[in-house]
Amino acid sequence: MYGGGNTFDPITDTKQATEDPQKLQEFEARIERGEKIEPSDWMPDLYRKQLIRMIEQHAHSEIIGALPEGTWITRAPGFKRKLALMAKVQDEVGHAQLLYAAAETLGKSREQMIDDLLEGKSKYSNIFNYPAFTWADACFISWLVDAGAIVNQLANSKGSYGPYCRALERICVEESFHLKYGHHCVIHLATGTDIQRKMMQEALNRWWEPMMHFFGPPDKVSVHTEVLMKWKVKMSSNDQCRNQFLDMYVPKILELGLTIPDPLLRKNPETEQWEYTEPDWEVFKKVINGDGPCNEERLAVRRVAEARGKWVRQALLKPKTEYVTPLA
Amino acid sequence: MNKSLDPRINRLNIDKYPADLTRKVPLDQFGTYEVFTQSKTEQPYQHEGIVHAPSKEMAFIFAKEQFSRRMTCSGLFVVETKNIFVTATTENNINVYHTVSEKFDTTGHLEQYEFFHLLKRGKQHLHVGSIEARNAQEALALAKPAFSEEDPVLNAWIIKTKDILFSSEEDTIIWNTLPDKKFRNASAYKASDKIKAFKESQKSTL
Repeated sequence: MYGGGNTFDPITDTKQATEDPQKLQEFEARIERGEKIEPSDWMPDLYRKQLIRMIEQHAHSEIIGALPEGTWITRAPGFKRKLALMAKVQDEVGHAQLLYAAAETLGKSREQMIDDLLEGKSKYSNIFNYPAFTWADACFISWLVDAGAIVNQLANSKGSYGPYCRALERICVEESFHLKYGHHCVIHLATGTDIQRKMMQEALNRWWEPMMHFFGPPDKVSVHTEVLMKWKVKMSSNDQCRNQFLDMYVPKILELGLTIPDPLLRKNPETEQWEYTEPDWEVFKKVINGDGPCNEERLAVRRVAEARGKWVRQALLKPKTEYVTPLA
Repeated sequence: MNKSLDPRINRLNIDKYPADLTRKVPLDQFGTYEVFTQSKTEQPYQHEGIVHAPSKEMAFIFAKEQFSRRMTCSGLFVVETKNIFVTATTENNINVYHTVSEKFDTTGHLEQYEFFHLLKRGKQHLHVGSIEARNAQEALALAKPAFSEEDPVLNAWIIKTKDILFSSEEDTIIWNTLPDKKFRNASAYKASDKIKAFKESQKSTL
């Protein structure tokens, strides 16, 4: 799973002016024809840089995203739920590996990316900086956070970079289990006892604002990304993704007799767009800049894993190993 | 550290670890291995992606976990990335074999080489067969008549067979239980009956 609303560098024209116009034209023509870019092809620096950044953020989100759910494996209700949740968490970590590999084909090593995560230099999806208080929170994540991630990933899988598309295709297939499993969990709570229903409703109330933040700031205030859209790095806008998510999942939430904590939420029948209370974007900024409920703890868990695993890596390391960029 | 909901925070004794890590030396990392799998015995091997590992044997184990824990699998192999000879990727649907030089070096002794073709950008490389030659360049020249396909080949990978670690006959039992792991499939989580029953009960209480 994965959050939208990637942070991109502000783009200035000077960055593009230095590219060879002939090569740039061929590159853009290839994308225009709907062909994928492969690692050995020429590509503008900006394309390479922004793709590394985006795929890396995606990979970090998978690794960090496994933490709030992973916490619940030992306390998941019953053997079947434990088995499913373990399989799901394993998938998420596997997705991170696929994505790191895709980013590596662009020339940044996996170790460098992991270092940047641990040092707080690169971002991951903001939603994983919130705690999962109850089992119902874990169910919300499995169903709706994954649902949001799938909206993003399906859009991105039609992008222009071959290795990223291949990774996403595999990821989307695996996510279909996560989505169904999450929905199954929520259905069981929502149609259960009064206490279970209440627990599910409270989790939904807690997660609604982070979920609205999930797709990133509204288009009117986002960094301009026209060139990234043209190069098929970014495939749809934050608002488009958010709207698609609401379209698909609001009815499914309501049919379970749950309520959504936003009195203004409605679909405008004329524009076909959803209207909603704008979530507090100052909170979003605060959390993404490190001051959320769990930022410190999430990175601490990763740092400990790194520190504890060090002797294993050292023992296995072959000093003569020659690192080469993966092929595809 | 604040009181946490994550049991790991207490169990790991996190406060004992320094918040800052010493930066790793640039190449404190494992090499990469390219992974190929075969979904069914009659299907060609297909490139899947990479794993990082300290040796071929560990790469095989990681690859099995990473690329064959779901769906079906009947074979898997790994090869170190640097042991793959790669042709240029051609433009405008030109067959890569049309660019192969007829002249080649004849040094070396006869060995077997495996061939993989990319037929469409964005897709995976597929195994097409093997060729005996004295070096990769010769193998490529010999492959031209042997593997002339109808569709243009955009990119070819050539790998010495002896550089590959293949799954053995005994290994295949590791995939025998895949069909039993239904909990990894979306189809194991049907709940429409439950929603239907819930809606009925809501109606009757109104």
